[in-house]
Amino acid sequence: MEQVAAIRTREEIEEAIRDFSLAKLALLEKAAKYFARYPFEPNDLLQTAYVLALTTRKCPVDVDVVTFLIGIMRSVAHDEGVKPKHRLVTVSIGSADDPEDGTIDPPDPSTSVEDNLIVEERLATIRTSILSLFDEGSPVWYLAEGIMQELTADELRDMLALDKTAYDSMRKLFRRRVDKAYPGGWNHDRE
Amino acid sequence: MTENKKSAREALDRLADAFVEDLLRMSDEEILAEFREDHGDPDQHEKELRDLFEESVMIANKQRLAEAKAGVAASHRIRRTPSTPDDITEVRKRLRLIVAAPNEAQQLTLAARNQKESDMSDGDARTLLEDLEELDETTPDDTNNEKP
Repeated sequence: MEQVAAIRTREEIEEAIRDFSLAKLALLEKAAKYFARYPFEPNDLLQTAYVLALTTRKCPVDVDVVTFLIGIMRSVAHDEGVKPKHRLVTVSIGSADDPEDGTIDPPDPSTSVEDNLIVEERLATIRTSILSLFDEGSPVWYLAEGIMQELTADELRDMLALDKTAYDSMRKLFRRRVDKAYPGGWNHDRE
Repeated sequence: MTENKKSAREALDRLADAFVEDLLRMSDEEILAEFREDHGDPDQHEKELRDLFEESVMIANKQRLAEAKAGVAASHRIRRTPSTPDDITEVRKRLRLIVAAPNEAQQLTLAARNQKESDMSDGDARTLLEDLEELDETTPDDTNNEKP
């Protein structure tokens, strides 16, 4: 007999997030910086994930709330990229006395072809820029290219002839170099 | 290698996924060490992170309120349409019938209004009829002139 997974209530999710340690909040902030794509800012993406977690998205009780939020950010960012008309929906806070307050602003479906081309050009520039952080042909450059080409960790370790410890160290070096070059996320110009 | 623009998006998505995988494997201490390295004072930035969530709670609450209002308004439109006539003569006729035999809730509403039907504008009469009919789905028929 198929069992339907129990779903966390909105109150449970709200309480869980309020109880997040600084480490969890920091993790989510970094994830937002990695997932957010021009023209959307990381904080907008994270806030959208929070709002969706508290409204329409369902979190099974056996799914960690951090993982749940990361999944929302990934899907929203992916949808924003694949279907530009599904822009992030924002709700103005405004005045509590305003009966129109809290009205959802519907996304504008009329994104132009030119807008899409600009976004895609920018992404290509970011990709090139990240790779240029490392000397072409260096092991970490190959690591960066390999990850972008969807090579697995095993394939990368074999290619680079690294044991697990050395591979993990190189991967961290790669990530931290990118973090320092793009402290505000990948939407912004390199430092 | 040949790159097309679609592959740039996919490449960055793969990179993001890889980086987030790394984050999820890190201990809290490792994450906090990077946090301090990136932001300096952790206390101020922690407040900003928590404020962002509280703002999100407000947004979610207002979104739910807006949806609830929209639902109530839609429900009223559905209920109102078959019961409130367009003909103002009919509106006033039905209003006079209710005034002649109001239920308790309708009495309170009429007392609060303290205005004769004959003194009301057409708009006021229509609004009052809608309010009174919400308080009692059935209106008295023409033959019922008895007070409760």
